[in-house]
Amino acid sequence: MIVLATILLPLVAGALLFALPRQDRVLSRAIGVVVATITLVTVIAAGTTSEWSFRWLSRPFDAAFHFGATPTSFWIALLLTVATACAIAASREARLRDFVAQLLLLEGAMLGLFLARDLLLFALFWDLMLLPVFFVLIGWGEHPATAWRYFIYNFAGGLTLLLATAAFGVIYGSTDVIGRAAGPLVGAWAPWIYAGFAFAFLVKTPVWPLHTWMPPTYSGLPAPMVAVVSAVQSKAGLYGFLVIALTLLPHEVHAYALALMVLGAVSLIYGAVIALTQNDAKRIVAYSSLSHLGLIAIAVGSGNPIALRGALVYIVAHGLFSAALFLVLGYVEEREATRLLARLGGLGWKNPKLAGALCIAALAALGLPGLAGFAGELLILIGVYQAGYVWPVIVALIAIVVASAYFLRLYQDAMNGPEVPDVPVRGDLTWPEALAVAPLLAALVVVGVYPAPLLHP
Amino acid sequence: MTLPFTSADWWAVAPVSIVAIAALVVLLADILFARREQRYASIVIALAGLAAAGFVAARQFGHDYNAFFGGFLTGGFATVFQEIILIAAAGSVILYAALGPASRIAGSIAIMLWSACGAMLMSGAANLIMIFLGLELLSLGLYALCATDDRKASRESALKYLILSSMATAFLLFGSALLFGATGSVELADLANPAHVANPLFWTGAGMFLIGLVFKLSLVPFHTWTPDVFEGAPLPVTAFMSVATKAATIAVLARFIYAALPVSVGQRLLLPVWIVAGVSMIVGNVGMLAQRDLKRLLGYSGIAQVGYILVALAGGTPLGLRYALYYLTAYAFMNLGAFAVAAAISPHGEEGADLRNYQGLAERRPWLAAAMTLILLALAGLPPTAGFLGKILILASGVSAGFVWLAALLIVGTAISLYAYAKVVRAMYAPAETGLPEPRPFVPLAWVSAAICCAVIVLMTFYPLIPSNVLPLAH
Repeated sequence: MIVLATILLPLVAGALLFALPRQDRVLSRAIGVVVATITLVTVIAAGTTSEWSFRWLSRPFDAAFHFGATPTSFWIALLLTVATACAIAASREARLRDFVAQLLLLEGAMLGLFLARDLLLFALFWDLMLLPVFFVLIGWGEHPATAWRYFIYNFAGGLTLLLATAAFGVIYGSTDVIGRAAGPLVGAWAPWIYAGFAFAFLVKTPVWPLHTWMPPTYSGLPAPMVAVVSAVQSKAGLYGFLVIALTLLPHEVHAYALALMVLGAVSLIYGAVIALTQNDAKRIVAYSSLSHLGLIAIAVGSGNPIALRGALVYIVAHGLFSAALFLVLGYVEEREATRLLARLGGLGWKNPKLAGALCIAALAALGLPGLAGFAGELLILIGVYQAGYVWPVIVALIAIVVASAYFLRLYQDAMNGPEVPDVPVRGDLTWPEALAVAPLLAALVVVGVYPAPLLHP
Repeated sequence: MTLPFTSADWWAVAPVSIVAIAALVVLLADILFARREQRYASIVIALAGLAAAGFVAARQFGHDYNAFFGGFLTGGFATVFQEIILIAAAGSVILYAALGPASRIAGSIAIMLWSACGAMLMSGAANLIMIFLGLELLSLGLYALCATDDRKASRESALKYLILSSMATAFLLFGSALLFGATGSVELADLANPAHVANPLFWTGAGMFLIGLVFKLSLVPFHTWTPDVFEGAPLPVTAFMSVATKAATIAVLARFIYAALPVSVGQRLLLPVWIVAGVSMIVGNVGMLAQRDLKRLLGYSGIAQVGYILVALAGGTPLGLRYALYYLTAYAFMNLGAFAVAAAISPHGEEGADLRNYQGLAERRPWLAAAMTLILLALAGLPPTAGFLGKILILASGVSAGFVWLAALLIVGTAISLYAYAKVVRAMYAPAETGLPEPRPFVPLAWVSAAICCAVIVLMTFYPLIPSNVLPLAH
């Protein structure tokens, strides 16, 4: 029951927020933070033991409203609730009530996705979690075309997922299969079903060449929303590979592992190189995401147990540092009314807290030992190497070096150097702003120093 | 002289009779009541009649009725179709009330009820004559209804519908005659004899019969009349047409597929129908992209949606019919809900369907915008709506029947449709343009109607409503 409450709470609270006065800015954010914090507590309370199930369909295949955390999804749900609480606390957008409501609805939909134990339910939440982002893109986004690109790309992925789920259900007889020790799907259709899943997962992650929706979406979304989307929604596809594809279609994952690794490696290098050339701070982080998530795709492709453990650590780490980066860049943009590196500079001299936050997040992102990113990267590289793949390790090492370059450039251009002259009043982070990113930064340190709980789920 | 009919026969057609009598009472009330009360009297009577018919039909469900010497079968899936048609009629009658003053309202409602009678007859029709009778009763009413508005477009739509629909009827009738010639019987059940397979007359007849049905379903390549007729017809009539005509025709098609065709003929003869369904899913959805009028948009959307329903019927499995009924029920509520919202905002009656009126609706009428959003998402097959579950059931049925290519076309069509539906959503949530007519103030009936539709669409996701024993009774 607790697990059901975890999912319903943000959905109901998000819907009820619309009952508040339209101009409200204080109450809705307070309620949002409280609700997100309660879900954080309930996720921990539910653990991996609480389950809830209710019969949905018995024909053409068994399906159930079956919720419950798996050892993998528990950590992602935890990441999601932390990221959402921080994002809501950091929200300063216009029409704040509606914006917070969308964040809560997004949290609820994604909690449903990660806690779903039924494939059909997973597909339902997969589509559902597109809607809040779409509404924020059309209501708060910078350019209308972005909303289309995001929605149609991801909906196309959702549709192939739906078709694959239907075929899976018909052949397998049940979709109530996530996190169970049920046998793999076999048969002539299995590769096609895997193709349907894989397309959806790769679009969502995204992986080159399906990534073109991602940079405009990430740069167009308001910072709190993109923090959650980049931290957690982008993990839905990787979670699908880890928990669904690898357990139900292991032979197909193995048979097409090389393709997955090549796509991952191309994303890794392509994302890193493009990030180096970008002038827009948010786009740098967006392309760095493409690059970092390519590394996880390589880990999935290698199939090595150490690499897969590392993938989970890196999923959590990337969630933490990308959320922190986007939130801090949101603060920068709010102060400077621009996020072009050419027009930023010298912010760090008068804003030590702002600079410090960006510094920690960027260092975690470039893989500094002692912070979360390093633990994940190292485990993945060791695992992939053990599995007998050397070339992806070399590609990854190159990309990691490039990552240092673009993250240091980001920090350097924004915080150091001469101050930009024509600036109004600049202020350092206020306490509420600092508190909104502090949990993410703290978690980066904790996971970096002590990643053991994630390794032995 | 005594009629050769038993009381069982009369009981089988009781739902149809009740609706027909209700229509007469509506006309009577038009004379008896004062002018101000006429509108509400006719609406209340019509709704009471529809409710009574719905109640009787529900009582019939699960029993096997074989009336008029096998010409009318009900109690099984026909009853579900009848309920859908009754719901469509009720939703459309409510729109008459919501839209404000209109002349000739009692007459319009009476004709609509008689049209519904025809559609209900088609649902249970088991011989060629009964099919034709029901179809004509349905269509004749609709020709008149299309012309009830004073706009020129309304008359144009009536004429267009009359000419094209008559041609479809001619195909159907000629096909029926050939089938009769080939088999010596008008009973659909007698067609299912493998002995007819060698007879070219049988193939020609069945082919023309199917062309007639495809025309009525407005599938490609016989679809071009639909958007024009939908645009011109009065809003309640469009709502009724978009659901009842399709439901009744799908009922006939289902009976033809499941009960009439010899197994050896079935898939060979029907392959063109499935191809047509596949093409309709693409053409209908592509056609939606350029529309600037909600009625035209829903006209094209209907073309594609019927294609989806046919995917469920492909393969002729019993489960397929259940899923087709599930989706059809959901589709009925989606369309009625969409028209209810259109009626609730239309500033001067008919012009409300112009999509420009939806610009910035979220600011001015947030609840209506939310309802419309939910309905459009349901049409696009997004959760948390019956459209999502319906799509997956149809996909499962198509895949298990071996029609993977149809399932793939459905996916492509749905992806295209999203753009068209979401464009309306975006317009509603975008800042309003200036100079647009103000939406109408609170229109209780339309709002309630839209709210009910939305609630049903969401609830059907969690409780698939269609009773499980639909098909065993079809044979």
